[in-house]
Amino acid sequence: MAILYNTESTLAERVEACLDDDFKHNAIKNAQEAFYVSRGRLVEEMGDGWQQLRMHAMEVRNHVTENLDYYVKQFAENAEKNGCIMHYAPSGDDALWEVLDVFEKHGAAYAVKSKSMMTEEVGLNEVLEEAGIKITETDCAENILQTAESKPSHIVVPALHFNREAIADIYREKRGYEGSSVPEEITHFLRKILREEFMEAEVGIRGCNFAVAESGSVTLVTNEGNGRMVDTFPKVQIVFVGIDRIVPDLESLDTMMALLPRSAVGAKMTAYFSLDSGPRGEGEADGPEEVHIILMDNGRHELANSEFSDMLRCMRCGACLNICPVYRHITGHGYGSIYPGPMGLVLTPGLVGYDDIDNMVYACSLCGACTEHCPVSIPIHDLVRQHRINIVDQHKNHAIEVPIFKALGLFWSSRPVYLAGMKIGAPVMKVLAHGGNALDASSTWIPVVNSWTSTRDFGVLSETRFRTWFKEHKEQQNNAEGGEQ
Amino acid sequence: MALGNKTLQDLLGPITKQLDHEAVAESVELPEWEFKAQRVTDGMTHEQLVDKFQEEAEKVRTEVVRCSADGLAAAIAAIVGKGVPETGEACTVIAADDDRFAQCGLYDAIKAQELVTDLTVWDSEQGEECIQAALTATYGITYTTGGIAESATVVQPTSPKCGRAVSLLPLAHIAVVDASAIVPTMFEVMKEYEDKGEKLPSQVCFISGPSATADIELVRVEGVHGPMYVNYVIVE
Repeated sequence: MAILYNTESTLAERVEACLDDDFKHNAIKNAQEAFYVSRGRLVEEMGDGWQQLRMHAMEVRNHVTENLDYYVKQFAENAEKNGCIMHYAPSGDDALWEVLDVFEKHGAAYAVKSKSMMTEEVGLNEVLEEAGIKITETDCAENILQTAESKPSHIVVPALHFNREAIADIYREKRGYEGSSVPEEITHFLRKILREEFMEAEVGIRGCNFAVAESGSVTLVTNEGNGRMVDTFPKVQIVFVGIDRIVPDLESLDTMMALLPRSAVGAKMTAYFSLDSGPRGEGEADGPEEVHIILMDNGRHELANSEFSDMLRCMRCGACLNICPVYRHITGHGYGSIYPGPMGLVLTPGLVGYDDIDNMVYACSLCGACTEHCPVSIPIHDLVRQHRINIVDQHKNHAIEVPIFKALGLFWSSRPVYLAGMKIGAPVMKVLAHGGNALDASSTWIPVVNSWTSTRDFGVLSETRFRTWFKEHKEQQNNAEGGEQ
Repeated sequence: MALGNKTLQDLLGPITKQLDHEAVAESVELPEWEFKAQRVTDGMTHEQLVDKFQEEAEKVRTEVVRCSADGLAAAIAAIVGKGVPETGEACTVIAADDDRFAQCGLYDAIKAQELVTDLTVWDSEQGEECIQAALTATYGITYTTGGIAESATVVQPTSPKCGRAVSLLPLAHIAVVDASAIVPTMFEVMKEYEDKGEKLPSQVCFISGPSATADIELVRVEGVHGPMYVNYVIVE
């Protein structure tokens, strides 16, 4: 999978399909509420400390961004000193070549993977499968998606769109599962079948939440322990590290980890947080013998020193998804990007540009809830707006809005024209809306108006003007008051 | 022939250019940070920190027992002596090779338990056999290097005497932690590693309770890939 998927459908089609899916809706709503409530409790417990933590995380991340070349270099050199084999990937394709080289060097044909958004970004699974390499996703949700051949709907809990019955059926059909649809039983079945795979796999592939420049370490946050399994048994390990994952020193890890699990799932810590510095040490009997680090840019550097540089602070916690009213309705699959929700609206065009993203950046009401909840204070909704400004400036997609707004300007600045328009507006629109309350996508045959209604609904004018209604309302009120006296 | 051929310079060049830097700086000083966060553990006495550690552990379904150094063997034997959690069947045990365990007579105390059918002590020379033993073990016992009160986390480095498998593969993990090594937050642990200035262990794992997931309909299930049960034993 690349960053964008489902590109054969339009945003409007995807959104419509998602709006019709009640199960998916409820699943996202429940997740949002569960995470929101538990996060809120922990934030409250910290009092003022929470805001200070956010501010501190912001200053640390900004310092790294301003000196990004230095910290990338320092991390690379120190990781090498720890005995890691470094691979440099300016682009996603470079990363794929490097990974294929590692497999070829070892003649390996079997890998286990723990969830990593970066590998999704470059479409690693598809490439490896094409090269005849078997790759098993080991995070429960990712394994469900892989077995069902589906796509993630949330960056933290990606298989939310399947219910327990559907999941049990997937394993019954594909893996010979014979148990019930009780989540505990399915999960323990996964424990059993995946253990065998962890032990057999030649290569372990994983991501990295934060990379420490000073010590050359990579880290991994997991709850299930699949990350630890990938990190313990395969003899060869490949770690994907984004250049935007770097923190300067070990002390700053504490700040990031005080924010990440609280923001992501409303927990003080995840079950496991591992800090890895090189391959297994002398005399150790487990852990990888060889560690390959793929240090990847893939368009991230262009965000530095730009109007979107704040986005380089993002730690992929998903807090903005968990609070977003638009995400709640159109769910993860509506966006058509592996990075959905508010952070996705900023990051996706930041990485792939404006040409192929449809009207994605308009899937936002600019309410600002994301900005308020972001643990590293990224002004997410301002950046969404900035993308819109850039798109209009570059005359992409919405260039038609320029003449429309010019015409509307004339209309509203002339009182006789405006009054006449209002008078005929209501009855005409009512006919166009087939007696409904809004002009929707079905009215795309109407010239000029269609450039609006193809992307959003247009409310039908009321037959009564507000001024008229207000005047009558006031009179009625006066009469009523008079009557009481 | 290798397909990948990019160098560190290829990666750095565009970043340096984008930042309008002339070249990658020789050194960068960390600024004086403007903000330092208050934490819930600020101002707690050591006794309160240990209590906090226990309180938080219980919130993440981790059982805590406290004992004296002399009582360590008995405290652990009492846990494994109950056999497999919930079913009470006969069980097997794998433990780290630790002088403190040997000194307190832990290994003998475990062997003396009726329901314990096998005890393996981690031995790197016999790595494969130990991993096999850990795969089927009911209990894995480790002596951690510290605890974090804020989140009930234990600090578990990998070493030749304690492989990663011991705290990962068994059905239950018994983590021993010295009360004196319980600190307020992760900051103190990181600061200590930083001050030492040595190469870090190949892995330092911060463990907070049992392995868990909520991937199916957000229902919390424990024991996904790692231990389903975790016990902390605090040595006072």
